[in-house]
Amino acid sequence: MSTGSISDRLVEGFAGGLPSPTRGVRKLVSLVGFVAVWWLFYEFGVLNFEHFVSPVTTIVEFAGALAGQPLTEGGDTIYLHAVYSGARVAVGVVAAALLAIPLGLVVGTSDRWENLLYPALEALRPIPPISWLPIAIIVFPALALGSISVPLPALFVVFIGSFFPIFTNTIEGARTIETEYGQAARSLGAGSGDVFRHVVLPATLPSIITGLSLGVGLGWITVVAAELLTGGPGLGYIIIQGSRLLQNQVVVIGMLAVGALGYATSALVEALGNWLMPWSTE
Amino acid sequence: MSEHNTDTTTRSDTDEQSAEQRRSWTESSGSGTVNIQDLTKVYGDDGDELVAVDGMDLHIEAEEFVTVLGPSGCGKSTVMECIAGYLDPTEGEVLVNDEPVEGPDPSRGVVFQENRLFPWKTISENVRFGPQMRDDVDESRVASLFDQMGLSGFEDAYPHELSGGMQQRAELARLLANDPDIMLMDEPFSGLDAMTKELMQEKLLDVWEDDDRTVLFITHDVEEAILLADRVVVMTARPGQVKDVIDVDLERPRSTDIVTTDRFNELQRRASESIHDEAERAMEQAEGRV
Repeated sequence: MSTGSISDRLVEGFAGGLPSPTRGVRKLVSLVGFVAVWWLFYEFGVLNFEHFVSPVTTIVEFAGALAGQPLTEGGDTIYLHAVYSGARVAVGVVAAALLAIPLGLVVGTSDRWENLLYPALEALRPIPPISWLPIAIIVFPALALGSISVPLPALFVVFIGSFFPIFTNTIEGARTIETEYGQAARSLGAGSGDVFRHVVLPATLPSIITGLSLGVGLGWITVVAAELLTGGPGLGYIIIQGSRLLQNQVVVIGMLAVGALGYATSALVEALGNWLMPWSTE
Repeated sequence: MSEHNTDTTTRSDTDEQSAEQRRSWTESSGSGTVNIQDLTKVYGDDGDELVAVDGMDLHIEAEEFVTVLGPSGCGKSTVMECIAGYLDPTEGEVLVNDEPVEGPDPSRGVVFQENRLFPWKTISENVRFGPQMRDDVDESRVASLFDQMGLSGFEDAYPHELSGGMQQRAELARLLANDPDIMLMDEPFSGLDAMTKELMQEKLLDVWEDDDRTVLFITHDVEEAILLADRVVVMTARPGQVKDVIDVDLERPRSTDIVTTDRFNELQRRASESIHDEAERAMEQAEGRV
């Protein structure tokens, strides 16, 4: 067989010339294999898996949840929980980006601002975002927009979680711009505002997108952690609620929903990057 | 730009004069003169100082093509950065059109050793960048530059989609779109293969012969230095000073064929001899023996 990648041919060699399945079939094998291992663990009680939940039950209930059935007795649908968590991630990450990108550009391009801002922020960076929750619960007042209560403490935790990856990546991107681009622009007649707009901003954009991608990931991690503690509606709340009610299929459904939404939002950031950077070679 | 016409007539006069006289005309105030007076540039702080250039003097006439030939690390790029306005001299001064240089200016265009087209802009956006900064894009001029540089059809391409030679031509087009009086070029062709380099040298000679511009071209390639220049300035190893000035009396317009003539070889031998000891010293400096 002359087609196929080198690794395909190597595997073929090891397998002694068995027919090589297509890419789609292999991906399906991966998913089915995962479920099969779960089922085996449940069925034969590996570790304490017999107390957990069978994949079959979970899949049936997941289908029901997607059809709009409430996840718990008298509770909300998965869509409502997803909308709440998604909105928290969106608001927290957007707020973080609006602050982190300008601050990062300023710190990355000005020594004076770096001296003023960087040490304090760098000292706060290693603190796990969720540990801000107790302070946030005390200092943020209860806020409601009409009938919807706005969970400021949870939003703040998401904000903190996504702020630092965006901030540090923006700084790094702005710091590593080749000085000759700025010199070339100035010799072509650009003022400092033009240099910022035509050189600093586009040259930093790839790092900003990387930071946003990491920030959105951190947003999902922190929103689930916050909801475990502050309550729902929300996917984190569903996970802890499922556990309390011994409805383990609900725990798994909540986890899978977070995974799927995390994947989708990071694809969204990637699409945003491609749209903003048509020059990018990727 | 109105002074350009008078410069053209001055030029044809000066061609008749001996180079000695030309250099003594320091009072000339045409657009595009560069006067380097006792230029010294020291990098670093007390105790860890590096004297890159030490008391250099050089006068460049308007519309003159001067190449600066020097061993690596001799401070030739430092001199260029002082003229461009990126660096302030530690001592002495750089006068352009009899005025001290204060920061970069579109009348002094720069081409760097590495291609510095903006990767995030298309070729067309790059070429228009200078005029756009002044809200003064001359479409017919841009179009004729694309034509002249063989870039037609690549207006919407991004720099990374072009070959090295095309990127260099695009960078030259970006510079020319701005119509600078002085072109500062820091080893612009050193990264190109021999064939492309030769074509770029001919392109640059064409461009220079068409318009009235002063060119300061830095190189470490002896053949390139003579092929292009009216005068070759040989620099010493660090700290950089003018070691020797060689008048290149080869006829113009020139093409790269000229490198096989006897007179070219004679000039090349002279420049090579002049730079040989300096290159040796520069190598010793780089190896830490001095």
